[in-house]
Amino acid sequence: MYRYDAIDQAIIDDRAREFRDQVARRLSGELTEDQFKPLRLMNGLYLQLHAYMLRVAIPYGTLSADQLRKLAFIARRYDKGYGHFTTRTNVQFHWTKLHEAPDILDALAEAQLHAIQTSGNCIRNTTADPYAGATAEEIDDPRIWSEVIRQWSTLHPEFTYLPRKFKIAVTASAKDRTAARMHDIGLKLRRSREGELGFEVMVGGGLGRTPYLAQTIREHLPARHLLSYLTAVLRVYNRLGRRDNIYKARIKILVASLGAEAFAEQVEAEWALLDKAALDLPALELARIRTAFGVLDFENLPAQSKKLEAAKAADFGLGRFVRNNLAAHKRPGYSIVNISLKTPGEVPGDCSADQMEAIADLAETYGFGEIRVTHAQNLVLPHVKLDDVPAVYAGLKAVGLAAPNIDLASDIIACPGLDYCALANARAIPIAQAIATRFSDQAFLEKVGELKIKISGCINACGHHHIGHIGILGVDKKGEEFYQLTLGGSGAEDASLGEVLGPALAADRVVPAIDALVDAYLTERKPGERFLDTYRRTGVSVFKDAVYAEAV
Amino acid sequence: MPKLFKLQGEALVLVEDAFMALADDAAAPNAGGIIVSLSRFQADGEALLAAGLKVGVRLEVTDRVEDLAYDLACLALVAPVFPKFRDGRAYSAASLLRERYGFTGEVRAVGDVLIDQMDLMRRCGFDAFEVADTADLDAWTGALRRFRHVYQGAADRRAPAFAERAGEA
Amino acid sequence: MTNAVITANDLRDGDVVFWSKGGWVDQVAEAELFPDAASADAVVEAAKTQVTRINDPYRVDVILEDGFPVPVSYRERVRALGPTIHPDRGKQAQGGPAIAAITAHAGAGLRSSGRLGLIRRK
Repeated sequence: MYRYDAIDQAIIDDRAREFRDQVARRLSGELTEDQFKPLRLMNGLYLQLHAYMLRVAIPYGTLSADQLRKLAFIARRYDKGYGHFTTRTNVQFHWTKLHEAPDILDALAEAQLHAIQTSGNCIRNTTADPYAGATAEEIDDPRIWSEVIRQWSTLHPEFTYLPRKFKIAVTASAKDRTAARMHDIGLKLRRSREGELGFEVMVGGGLGRTPYLAQTIREHLPARHLLSYLTAVLRVYNRLGRRDNIYKARIKILVASLGAEAFAEQVEAEWALLDKAALDLPALELARIRTAFGVLDFENLPAQSKKLEAAKAADFGLGRFVRNNLAAHKRPGYSIVNISLKTPGEVPGDCSADQMEAIADLAETYGFGEIRVTHAQNLVLPHVKLDDVPAVYAGLKAVGLAAPNIDLASDIIACPGLDYCALANARAIPIAQAIATRFSDQAFLEKVGELKIKISGCINACGHHHIGHIGILGVDKKGEEFYQLTLGGSGAEDASLGEVLGPALAADRVVPAIDALVDAYLTERKPGERFLDTYRRTGVSVFKDAVYAEAV
Repeated sequence: MPKLFKLQGEALVLVEDAFMALADDAAAPNAGGIIVSLSRFQADGEALLAAGLKVGVRLEVTDRVEDLAYDLACLALVAPVFPKFRDGRAYSAASLLRERYGFTGEVRAVGDVLIDQMDLMRRCGFDAFEVADTADLDAWTGALRRFRHVYQGAADRRAPAFAERAGEA
Repeated sequence: MTNAVITANDLRDGDVVFWSKGGWVDQVAEAELFPDAASADAVVEAAKTQVTRINDPYRVDVILEDGFPVPVSYRERVRALGPTIHPDRGKQAQGGPAIAAITAHAGAGLRSSGRLGLIRRK
């Protein structure tokens, strides 16, 4: 993975020093809160219900074992012993203090970590496929390009005060594990007919009050022109994006109001005038970055591991774990191991300092020292020998992280909601816990199969409910928590936005509703159909009746 | 009374303002420097220049830099406005003035111009800053080189990290 | 019959605090009780001048349960207690009758669908 050189390190050190000065000037009163707020947001520091929340960047969801250990240290020293992984593959600490934030940033910088641009109206963390470098199906390693974008977008002087936040994702496989189409810019690596590496450029996705899927404005952009083209898109947005109404300020609104074609014309016109030679990354620098993500020292192993097979035969739990949590690796004898942070009854996405250290140790011993974060708030060990899976499973089990439920009904995405977040209208975590507990029977869980449930505590949709197979949105109805269900959303390559099922339900009606929906699915499904497939085939009415027909 | 800080090389100095803001309906002085709105310039620009005045144009966030393109060679100054420091449109305006149109006159930041954004403004090609009366020149000077390196090329032509790495800085 | 208190977040550590006679306390039970919204709103303006001590002061309506102030809005109950799913975190961790009075209205379990007439947002 990419390691900072002296220049990268100096940049985060200087930013930390700048922020220390800004905090001091706020505490002394020299800066007003109005002047300080955008500055602290640009360093990931929110004021939430109970405390300041610090969102630490995990660029393209990639961490080294040492970095994960540093996060554990921060959790213990400056927080309440845990962190929360987010739907943008960052990590949040919910109990930090403003006057300690400069010390936290200094400690993070020691491990090449930072909180730059994890909030604010600027370019946020650019995410990538969590299976990058491990999956056989990728056109190119998307992390290379995410690192290119990270550098270009960090403290970019022209684009630091955009109309609104800006999120970019890079995907490189037929299967999209980044939810690219719900991003402001989704970049899909591809090859032209002549074999030239490039990107399909999709612009204007975003959830929230008015969800949109990104539209393709350019089928093939030669990869070497990535930065100049992004400059064109951002400049058009910076100049034309609305600033009068924060609910109409994302680029998705601009693309929708101009129309994708007219928007694309504006971008192409700007791009034509840009000095591409000055903006695009020189080949030498690209090669340097590419080398950093270079080939690992994989061994030549047989495709099947006798050791693993024997262990599975003796341990039913291991068999379940392998069946549900492993994904195919490009090298025979290796696997991609998903670590679920969704143990039923626990807080989705939370990870204690002890757990972080256990995972760091496992990564170091069995996984080339590398960990990934997914937008589903789970973790990944991308390169584990099949032979070592029993040991990894035992290590995870010892710290309560062996839930064999990836992409199943209890693998729920949930935002922190009204238990933590100042923006929320309703709680999300207790709903997730109730549903996950309801589905704690593993046999039933696997019978139901892939079912992506996503819960947001408010319309800002940090829980991505619009793209859940079942989406749940917490709303405030006359001061009480109610929950509106949507069906049929997807953040994968078959992207779609969910449809509202019916009137919002009281909190204690949510689990019975999920039951009814699952029952309806099991009744209707044809062989091979996931919940999403059955819904798409039958339409909403059979599901709507299942939930609402009993209500008199 | 606002103050004017001007970038001269690597230093920031306090200077006298050689320009006066001229309202749309006000008569022009006989000599000296004036800053007018874009619409005033479009209406009276020829006459103002012919009178020998040094002319600057104040560019609101809704004005287009492109509308000044043909006349930039005659202008002494352009002043993109920051109505609130959070409104980032002036960064694009300044960048275009320098990079696309090669404007060599003064690009002056006016409006809600604060020290924490000065480095960004400077990188986008601003070389003068109309600041509050209370602004401290020493503090502003200190903020000039907060960052030892930058990642990306910008209007100020400072060598980006990749150029430094290649030994080209 | 609702009273009011004034709340804010401590600038340095972000903690939820409540106005008490010119200063700030940690627990809503110790907050200065105002007889009505208007009297509280008047004091909020004074609180706003404490820019290096707190952020964003505002009025919170409360009712009295067993003599203890309980915020009327659900959101303010969560602020006065801590996260409902972690009873050992936040102000609720200290326990006691004042906390119990609030917890009775903001438990970790999902609330029933019965209409609770007094609940209003901030």
